[in-house]
Amino acid sequence: MKINAKDVASGALLILIAATGLWLNQDHNLGSARRMGPGYMPMLVFYVQLALGMIVLAMAFFNGPDPLEKWTKADATMLPVSIIAGTLAWYFAPVFGSFFENTYNALGLGMLVGFLVVCYSMGWRLLGFICAAMCIFSLLLEKGGLMLALAATIGISALAEPEHRARPLGVLGLTIFLLAMCWWIFIKQLDIRVAVWPLQY
Amino acid sequence: MDIIGNLAHGFAVALSFQNLLFALIGALIGTAIGVLPGIGPVATISLLLPITFGQPATTAIIMLAGIYYGAQYGGSTTAILLNLPGEISSVVTTLEGYKMARNGRAGAALATSALASFFAGTVATIVVAGSGPLLTSVALSFGPADYFSLMLLGLIISAVLAQGSVIKSIGMVVLGVALGLVGTDVQTGQQRFTFGVPELSDGISFVALAMGMFGIAEIILNLERPEARSVLKTKVGSLWLTKEEWKRATPSVLRGTLVGTVLGILPGGGAALSSFGSYMMERKVSKNRHLFGTGAIEGVAGPEAANNAAAQTSFIPLLTLGIPANAVMALMVGALIIQGIQPGPRMVEAQPDLFWGLIASMWIGNVMLLVINLPMIGMWVKLLQVPYKFLYPAILVFCSIGAYSVNNNVFDVYSTVLFAVFGYMCNKLKLEPAPLLIGFVLGPMMEEHLRRAMLLSRGDVMVFLERPISASMLAIGALAMAAMLLPNLRKGKEAALTG
Amino acid sequence: MMSGLLPRRAWLAGGAAMAALPAVARAQAAWPAQPIRLVVPFAPGGTTDLVARLLTQGLTARLGQPVIIENRPGAGATVGSAQVAAAAPDGLTLLMSNVASQGVAPSLYRNLRYDAVRDFTHIALVVENPVVFVANPRFVPRSLTEVVRFAQEAPRGLDIASSGSGSTNHLLIVQFGQATGARVNHVPYRGAGPAMTDVIAEVVPMMSDSLPSAAGHLRSGSVRGVAMASAARHPAFPEIATFREQGIDAVSNSWFGISAPAGLPAPIVERLSREIGLVLADPAVRARFAEIGATVGALSPAGYADFVAAEVEKWRPVVLASGAQVD
Repeated sequence: MKINAKDVASGALLILIAATGLWLNQDHNLGSARRMGPGYMPMLVFYVQLALGMIVLAMAFFNGPDPLEKWTKADATMLPVSIIAGTLAWYFAPVFGSFFENTYNALGLGMLVGFLVVCYSMGWRLLGFICAAMCIFSLLLEKGGLMLALAATIGISALAEPEHRARPLGVLGLTIFLLAMCWWIFIKQLDIRVAVWPLQY
Repeated sequence: MDIIGNLAHGFAVALSFQNLLFALIGALIGTAIGVLPGIGPVATISLLLPITFGQPATTAIIMLAGIYYGAQYGGSTTAILLNLPGEISSVVTTLEGYKMARNGRAGAALATSALASFFAGTVATIVVAGSGPLLTSVALSFGPADYFSLMLLGLIISAVLAQGSVIKSIGMVVLGVALGLVGTDVQTGQQRFTFGVPELSDGISFVALAMGMFGIAEIILNLERPEARSVLKTKVGSLWLTKEEWKRATPSVLRGTLVGTVLGILPGGGAALSSFGSYMMERKVSKNRHLFGTGAIEGVAGPEAANNAAAQTSFIPLLTLGIPANAVMALMVGALIIQGIQPGPRMVEAQPDLFWGLIASMWIGNVMLLVINLPMIGMWVKLLQVPYKFLYPAILVFCSIGAYSVNNNVFDVYSTVLFAVFGYMCNKLKLEPAPLLIGFVLGPMMEEHLRRAMLLSRGDVMVFLERPISASMLAIGALAMAAMLLPNLRKGKEAALTG
Repeated sequence: MMSGLLPRRAWLAGGAAMAALPAVARAQAAWPAQPIRLVVPFAPGGTTDLVARLLTQGLTARLGQPVIIENRPGAGATVGSAQVAAAAPDGLTLLMSNVASQGVAPSLYRNLRYDAVRDFTHIALVVENPVVFVANPRFVPRSLTEVVRFAQEAPRGLDIASSGSGSTNHLLIVQFGQATGARVNHVPYRGAGPAMTDVIAEVVPMMSDSLPSAAGHLRSGSVRGVAMASAARHPAFPEIATFREQGIDAVSNSWFGISAPAGLPAPIVERLSREIGLVLADPAVRARFAEIGATVGALSPAGYADFVAAEVEKWRPVVLASGAQVD
């Protein structure tokens, strides 16, 4: 078979986004060609995208083979599991205290849980740890201060690298160095307005 | 009026100790913020404005201009070293520059970027001084229909940015335009695709999109390929350009300078097109076009020259009409008005010190940036020799702080994460992010000009064909489209026949 | 756009005190003990930003603490306003209140997150400036009467540009169209700069603009004034006739003032009002405002609150008539 699996997925992705866009665009007034409403341009754009998606999809049957990377069984099961776990964490976040009543803090918790759960499978581990590291930064920054947020980010991101897991002392050294550098650049020099230490506000 | 005399007067102003000092300070600050991801010149200038109140107007504006150019230089550095573009112009620099760095030619890429920028800046400064007022008429000859066709042409040719399938990259351009639709509709004020999120009312953040799809996604991909990292560490070639590289880069710089100088004059979005307009040109006319995508020096030299030339000539509308071409210029107008000076056509006569001093300082600023940047190349290249396991947490930390500081809002950090996942997915599907970013930036401008053109023509589509500028843009676009699609279709057909 | 950079040492200093005392009590003790942040709900470089920067220069000197501008643009200035409405009334967060977010927005936005009058302590009106109709010098009709005749006779009607939908500049175009029955085609832009470019380039013959943003172009002769929407002729541009003189009853002012979150303690209100009054009394500041065509306002805190309430009512029918409405 000459099927290009990457192009099949690409075409499907373009079609899916275009269809969603067209559906959402029903809320917007199209207007006329003379006085175009807010929905006119989105309509044009999504129809063009739909057409392109279909072309990509059609051509995928002739210009392969180009298979997707193999998913292990764990990769395939952990993806939906992590999405469910993340959604549950997001939905029930307000239970864990008033901090999570804020929309973005709840969202952040959901994303963090989702990304950490998906790390259980090897295929998603790097993506999961790197994204989780940025999520924990946002969760900790405003209440916990820059230093704590950075330390947690570096700690989680280090999990993505096997060499770091073997030698935690190196991570500690790196953390201290980066904390000092960020303090000097962003606090001392640039004066960005964030809490530096926990419970500063 | 003789230009030589005026320029001599300008240099006399700009070379005073105080003005030189502040030009240097501005260039240094600008380089620093340009290197840091997410922190841009608008924020820095807005922060530093109060300091300029106490200074003479000329000194103030020289310093602010220094920050502006400095940020352009600094932005290329992170684009080349870490695949982190800070603005649309450096997206193009990542394409070949980052590949050069991976081939062990980071030093040459950085040197090319600095030298090309300097050369283009020099030429563009002379253009501004010599024929600025004359070129204003070029800026004013572009109506909404012409801008629309120019943007459309830009979008069509941006498909060549990608290495793979043309159809897929046009798909990414259109997807980028779609992402650009998110936010408040300029004409009616209605919210589109914002899902009630107030942070989206001004659209998706460019920093989050670029940082996520390029920088963060690249970290994950690098971690997946341990073998690619060791190459980076061991192969460190000469810091300077080889004779061969000089020969290849020079014609590209000349072409890039020309493209950038012309496009920079257009206030309706010309500067945004300059760097990848030049990249497109290099891929079509350069002798080494087959090397594009593997780290071709032409793809760094041309766009970097174009970008800096456009940065200089985009001062023309400001100096001759008093109309700022971008947010940085708007801040400079503010600074001038606070000083009691109204920028505009009368500034040449009313404030000759300021006008010619600024032009002279444009050039001096470029010299300073060259002097600052060339010795730093060695240091930057050393950065790449830091083992990747120590480098990537640092990049991640800088990106997190940078994304947050754009609006002091965690929302931007979360969007960066989501775009990182999306960028990772696109990489696995061989969908390239650069065309998407171009579409994202040009799309909103294109919609605005389209709707305005139709409003003014009372819904008559013929306006795009009746205006000569617009008609020729569309013709070039149609030709480019045909040239790109025909080989592709033929290949597809052959594959179909044989398969 | 990054904007909210404040000297962090100052925030550190306040940290300890903050934990011990309720915000209001602390602020009263020695206000201002920390830098004050003035939220400007527009992008840097515009008229509002300019007025704010001219004011903060003097205010910083008088209060002994830096007054730092934080640009929070977005959604017709309502993003920054909503942020201040939700802030603590400790005198450390102020808003550059203005006709867009306090006057027009309550009628324009269906789901506004604040009440323009009750959610703020309005402190002082800073400046007012009229809206002005300008035209390309080559545009033939001179007076408003001639413009109206042109609009009725030209087969396509008359295009008039503005800095954006829902702005006071746009609303004046609507008022003009209603008063005269002229066939007016509103052409919105993303800000006054691009609109002015197209007027100078003769893409659009006329534009409705706020006086400070048009002043430089009027002086340089790149555009010509057609009519000023002020009650009497403007001292800086006495040659431009008013709308009223030309038979159309339209007076339209943009205004900018200083407001704080609701519940600001009275001593801070008084101090701020007094200091702003002194800054605005400075002849150098007055001269600078006069140059850009803005008139310094003089209203007590109570007077400014009444003024804002009156503006909300004034714009309601105009917005309604314009048909503009935003979710």
